[in-house]
Amino acid sequence: MRDRVPWASSWTGIAGGATPALVLAGALVAAHAVLFADPYGLRVLTVAGVYALAVIGYQMIFGKAGALSLAQGTFHGLGAYATGIVGSQLGYGFAVTFPVSILVPTVLALVIAAPVLRLESHYFALATLGIGQVALLGAVEWQGVTGGSNGIAGVAAIELFGWRPGRGLPLALFVWALVAAGAVIAWRYGRGWRRLAFPLMRDNPAAARALGIDIDRLRLETFALSAAYAGAAGALAAHIQRVVSPEVLEFPVMVTILTMAVIGGRGRVGGAIAGALLLTQLPEWFRGWERGYLLLYGVVLLAVVVAAPWGLVGALERARRRWLPERPRPLPVPVDPGPRPTPPFRGPMLYVAGLSKSFGGVRAVDGVSLWIDRGEILGVIGPNGSGKTTLINLMTSLEKPDGGKLYVRGVEMTGMPTHRIARGGVARGFQMASLPPDGDALDAVAAGRAMIDKDPSSAAAHALHFLTLTGAADLARTPCSVLPPGSRRRVELARALARQPGALLLDEPAAGLTEAEQADLAGQIRSAAASGVAVLIVEHNMPFLLPLADRIICLDEGRIIAEGTPDAIRRDPAVMAAYLGPSHPEPAHPGPA
Amino acid sequence: MADKTKNSGNPALRPALRKVLPLAAALLASVIPPAAAAAELNIPVLVPVTGFLALEGTSQRNGAVLALSDAPAGLKVESEVIDTGTAPEGAVTALERAAGRGTPTAVAASMLGTQMLAMLPLAEEYGVPLVTVSGTASITERGNPWVFRFFPGDGVTKTAHARYAVEELGKRRPAVIHQTTAYGQSGQAHLRDAFAKLGVEPVFEEGVDPGIRDMLPVLTKAMAANPDVLILHLHSGPTALFIRQAAAMGITVPIVAGSAMHQPSTAALLEPAELKGVCAESSASPVSGGTPELERFTADYRATFKTEPDAFALGQYDGIRMVLDAAAKGAETPEAIRDALAKSTYQGLAMTYRSDGRGNMAHSAVIVCYDGASRVPAVVKRYDTAAPP
Repeated sequence: MRDRVPWASSWTGIAGGATPALVLAGALVAAHAVLFADPYGLRVLTVAGVYALAVIGYQMIFGKAGALSLAQGTFHGLGAYATGIVGSQLGYGFAVTFPVSILVPTVLALVIAAPVLRLESHYFALATLGIGQVALLGAVEWQGVTGGSNGIAGVAAIELFGWRPGRGLPLALFVWALVAAGAVIAWRYGRGWRRLAFPLMRDNPAAARALGIDIDRLRLETFALSAAYAGAAGALAAHIQRVVSPEVLEFPVMVTILTMAVIGGRGRVGGAIAGALLLTQLPEWFRGWERGYLLLYGVVLLAVVVAAPWGLVGALERARRRWLPERPRPLPVPVDPGPRPTPPFRGPMLYVAGLSKSFGGVRAVDGVSLWIDRGEILGVIGPNGSGKTTLINLMTSLEKPDGGKLYVRGVEMTGMPTHRIARGGVARGFQMASLPPDGDALDAVAAGRAMIDKDPSSAAAHALHFLTLTGAADLARTPCSVLPPGSRRRVELARALARQPGALLLDEPAAGLTEAEQADLAGQIRSAAASGVAVLIVEHNMPFLLPLADRIICLDEGRIIAEGTPDAIRRDPAVMAAYLGPSHPEPAHPGPA
Repeated sequence: MADKTKNSGNPALRPALRKVLPLAAALLASVIPPAAAAAELNIPVLVPVTGFLALEGTSQRNGAVLALSDAPAGLKVESEVIDTGTAPEGAVTALERAAGRGTPTAVAASMLGTQMLAMLPLAEEYGVPLVTVSGTASITERGNPWVFRFFPGDGVTKTAHARYAVEELGKRRPAVIHQTTAYGQSGQAHLRDAFAKLGVEPVFEEGVDPGIRDMLPVLTKAMAANPDVLILHLHSGPTALFIRQAAAMGITVPIVAGSAMHQPSTAALLEPAELKGVCAESSASPVSGGTPELERFTADYRATFKTEPDAFALGQYDGIRMVLDAAAKGAETPEAIRDALAKSTYQGLAMTYRSDGRGNMAHSAVIVCYDGASRVPAVVKRYDTAAPP
């Protein structure tokens, strides 16, 4: 009964559930090209292949890693210029120009990655756009090398070890053979643990980091790979057009690539090919309308975006699900991974000393020191804005502390990146359970094992074991997007436990749960603690926390104002003053119940 | 729909007609005595009518379409306008598309130099003459026998440009402001050479990106160099912007602009008063009048396209008319057209055209000046380079 779930469906990396339809469409296009297409049709098909290669690469950084890079057109142009300079001016053939054209943008991507990849969202987009402007300026002004605005003419046609595809069908087949090779490489790259890491990285980078996923490395990989693909496409474009000019570095090329990726289906190799084919063919269908063709082209694109916001492949996938629903994938046999080997240490599982953090003039955390022993449950309470979530963020390095030390299993991890702290044995949950919207619960938990098992089948089997432990095995095939709050918490807890952490940090885990769900969750946390996990719980819900915690600390204005057993905390005047003000009579429980 | 000039009926019916016509022709041939058949020509117009060169490309298109609309008797011409955009890839695809429908007799080809450079290898492979008004020098420097330029190259126009400033205006301290495009860089290089031959060194040279929307900085810098003449080599919009801002600043230093200024569409962006004293080089200025034939061309152009013709339209018109003239004299194949263009002399409306052996057909330039009262300039000087024998 053991199967290769969830990677058995790895072809979804190509085109989701729409693969059969796309394979059929591809076969029809190929048959048309071989049997019926005239030189013009083959030319358009060849140009589509060149774009497809660039878009397959772009799907890695934009589609999979979720970073809006606006440098893909630039990398494409640099590949073309590398071919123009090495091929036309230095006289080398395709066997040299092609690898050089891949290498040049890839090296540039690696060089600029350090400052650029640190930036988030629109800042990253602007930085990559700026790179394109610099490259364009260089191409225009560096006339001795680039030919200036006239560019470089006389680029030789493709010749590989004496074989010349010329143009027409041989050239189209050659280009599409490279597209097929590129597609297979991209598909293989997106399989395995990356298939689980990418959605989480795209939708919730903090959660991905907290699972030990090094998303900085993934971004670097995808950025460099996207540049390599763009460079390959640029080389082909230069050899096919026989001329390289600054237009190849201009923004419309980037817009075309981006549009192809979105229209085809973001993140999908099949989407890249479908988008490139459609957007290359579309203007040609309307070309006879002279100036009007751009209007028609725009209208059709708008219609596609409105009718299929998930792209062509996404639309096919949804249609297939609707008309030809798949049988649920069989579950793997749950396997207990056994204890993870950890080096021996003495002292608390987790220890922080003097942690501090300011945001502008606000002292969010002020010299907080605490420890948690193995098997202990430590509650952290405090009024809103007292620094509880910031404290967890500092302990997991999602925020960089201004001062203080962090030790995990006796090893100092101060200032280390989040994924390193996670791999050191710290797991955490978030106020809003962050599960990937596109996968099912088993995928979500398996993502927690991605950096531990590496072997996808083992990760799935182990993931099901932890789902079973948290009583959520029946949810394994339920899409995360439809899970109710209580189930989401359970799945998130299973994912955190699947990492087999030494310390588990939970941020308001009972928020939004019913009393029955809270009781269930409390039982699972006790079980985790009983297995030796040190648990820290930030919580406002005192009826949930006080019976559960062994010890509680109370924060106010970033400082620890009280520490002790739940009973002691309940009666502590400082705690009551922090919650209710100094003159308020003693309540039954501090804080909101 | 595609612009069909002098076509042979509904395009949708053409495939059916193609099947029926040979049979009908065979039947007719058996009963009708042989007579001289009309020569069939296929001359597609592959020009940029969208993108940053849409204005100039449309002039080029109109010139070609006007020439094709009045083919000499005995010629049957089929034509289609295909937009090339401004990317090299678009031009090559357009040429493949046109060639896919039967090898063209000749092609009215893009005025954009990078597109021409991309089309040249394919034109040579197909054996199709390219008739263009592109000013990019390198298109006729690659030894390709299939390209013919009916617009004077920078070697002709920039020599006239510099000579007018130095010899006619007596200026010795020019400030040169050019575009950073291929057009601008080529013009700058030729201006530098032309001034050097005249013993003059520009006191200021700067390239301006076509996207710049404020000319004040470059204008201020140029004036700081204390020039006695402003030499512009800019596209249409930037030229108008520069002249407007210079007028607003009250600059009295004379301006001699590039060929973009002669275009009626550029003058339309300015008030006549702002144009006072401004001169420009061009290959021709059809709106300025001249021979009766030229004035008839201008009238036909206005009537057909509801706009004013410029030198690009006239150059392309002359080029296509030379192709039709050669066909009317018996050159029916692309090779015969190529040979006729390469070896013949043709008296066009703008000038006399003759190849210099590399496909450069135009060897004259004019200087036009505005009087401040209207947007129609007067031709004040003509420069004719000796055409090759």
